Amino acid sequence: MLNFKISSDEIDKIGNFTKEEKNFRLKNLEYFNDTGFPNKKNEDWKFSDLNAIVSKNFNKLDIQFGKSKKQKVDFIKDFEHNYIVIINGELTISDFRYEEKDKITLKSFINDNYSNRKENNPLINLNHALSDKGYFLEVKENYKFKKILVIYYLFTNDLDENILNTRNKIKIRKNSELHLLEYVVNDSKKIFFNNVHEDIVLENSAILKNIYLQNSKSSGYFHKYSINKLFTESNYTSFIFPAGLKFNKLDLEFNLEGERSECNLQSASFINNNEHQEIKTRVNHFSPNCRSHQNVKNVLNDESKGVYQGKIFVKDVAQKTDAYQLSKAILLSEKCEFDSKPELEIYADDVKCSHGSTSGNLDKDSIYYLMTRGLSQQESTKLLIDAFLNEVADSIKSNSIRNFIKTKLETQLQDGY
Amino acid sequence: MLEIKNLNASINDKKILKGLNISIKPGELHAIMGPNGSGKSTLANVLSGKEGYKISGELKYQGESLDEISIDERAQKGIFLAFQYPTEIPGVNTSNFLRTSLNKVRKAQGKKELDALSFLKIMKEKSNELGMDEKMLSRQLNVGFSGGEKKKNEILQMKILDPNLVILDETDSGLDIDALKIVADGVNSSRNKEKSFLVITHYQRLLNFIKPDFVHVLADGKIVKSGTKELAMELEKTGYKGIN
Repeated sequence: MLNFKISSDEIDKIGNFTKEEKNFRLKNLEYFNDTGFPNKKNEDWKFSDLNAIVSKNFNKLDIQFGKSKKQKVDFIKDFEHNYIVIINGELTISDFRYEEKDKITLKSFINDNYSNRKENNPLINLNHALSDKGYFLEVKENYKFKKILVIYYLFTNDLDENILNTRNKIKIRKNSELHLLEYVVNDSKKIFFNNVHEDIVLENSAILKNIYLQNSKSSGYFHKYSINKLFTESNYTSFIFPAGLKFNKLDLEFNLEGERSECNLQSASFINNNEHQEIKTRVNHFSPNCRSHQNVKNVLNDESKGVYQGKIFVKDVAQKTDAYQLSKAILLSEKCEFDSKPELEIYADDVKCSHGSTSGNLDKDSIYYLMTRGLSQQESTKLLIDAFLNEVADSIKSNSIRNFIKTKLETQLQDGY
Repeated sequence: MLEIKNLNASINDKKILKGLNISIKPGELHAIMGPNGSGKSTLANVLSGKEGYKISGELKYQGESLDEISIDERAQKGIFLAFQYPTEIPGVNTSNFLRTSLNKVRKAQGKKELDALSFLKIMKEKSNELGMDEKMLSRQLNVGFSGGEKKKNEILQMKILDPNLVILDETDSGLDIDALKIVADGVNSSRNKEKSFLVITHYQRLLNFIKPDFVHVLADGKIVKSGTKELAMELEKTGYKGIN
């Protein structure tokens, strides 16, 4: 059994901090040590008992990780793009060759908010206590990126039972627009834990389009808490293709703070082997006339487990809210499991909120029909899985990016099924 | 081409086919008529290899027993079933699917697979013959197709796959007279000395447009009467009750 109590000495080993920051970190560490890794008694973790998962798979978790090896980056050649390279959470190189440089700020993340509280998700406290890497990206007012920005997240092969705590922040100022591809490339062969805290702010009329893609299979255990603030008339579209990790939990919170702001979340995953993946969302409608849309699709194979917990909260003042969430899952084997927990909490009376959740097997009649046309059972199944998942990628507008994503997803499926 | 002897089939312990015999030679077109519940669709399903049936008797295609042959292999060997209710498959592009299907069949038959361009040419030609709107073929397979469009799509697949044995399961149902003519023309223009057809239908109407060599009446799981196309006319007058 792994001892989850982390000594306060570890904080000194990370760096020299001001008294204020050190206290902030110590306090957060104390909060984390109170509970340790969350277990299923915590309602938000009832389908993903992280405590048990970590105990079962890790002998130790090294907090200290020296300077990462320099890593050769296999840049995407399919389309022109700006890039940032993050290695094991650390900001390394960047290139904004298609943009006006004075419109962009990029630097290593420095925290300046020391208010603290005991979070319901202890991994947030853990991150606050120990985060030592990350980036801050800002797009200044009235600037639209000309080309997509690809953030390469590389994980090196010298990771071995380490835990990385990183903190990233993206701020898009008024009337600005950014298209982002978060591209995770894993060279790691051994297990490690990646704990990310992400903070995204869209000021008035800002636009963010984001695609998250896991390139290859990995033994990584990932957790990300993401807090997204959307101000008046801002618009956030997020496509997530997160499959391929041993464990992955995305805890995503969207706060629609300003009127007529809009968020759209689309996800497609093929979960295989004994992978465990959870997407948890909380969309808070704090203002009137906002719109939120969620579409989460999962295909599960083998002994994998998938979870979707989606909550929509509508505050009393948030009239004319239009909120929608849909979860669809296809289970291919007897041993896989999918849990879905949709929740609506509504305090306004003039709103449109709906949700739906389905899970089941592939349609036998469809397979029969395809087989009478000469496709084998396996080919028919694959075609139907493709069709089910591709709906999400098909709504990416750019041809070159959509094709890139679809090719990657196709390979994942080819390898897995 | 097809030799069925004493075929019995049951599903969930319910006997549906009870000693059915039929023999179809290359180039022949046989019609099977029969009332509701006589086992017409079961016969089509069993020939296609659909799972879930308990089968006994002899089922030979081109001299070879079909007992151990799976659904897809039967298709690859040239058995084609046009569905009574073609399945809607969201997310699968019709023309991509047709190409995949054709190339599977060609590959199994030792022919060269077709590239996108040569396939498109064939598809265009065949769909024009059926008066199909090409836009339909870029849509999702059968999704939102009208009854007539679905049936035309089945006939299009038949034309593209160029099978040896074609089973049409109530292809005429739900068609208006114009669509019926187009579908019938599609079948007639495909007839030749090598190809055999088994046309399953409720009504004599279709047989005004497709001239059968033989007509069989199926009742309670077996053939109760066989004859030529005059038998179909007689049926129209007397109804199925008059036969027994």
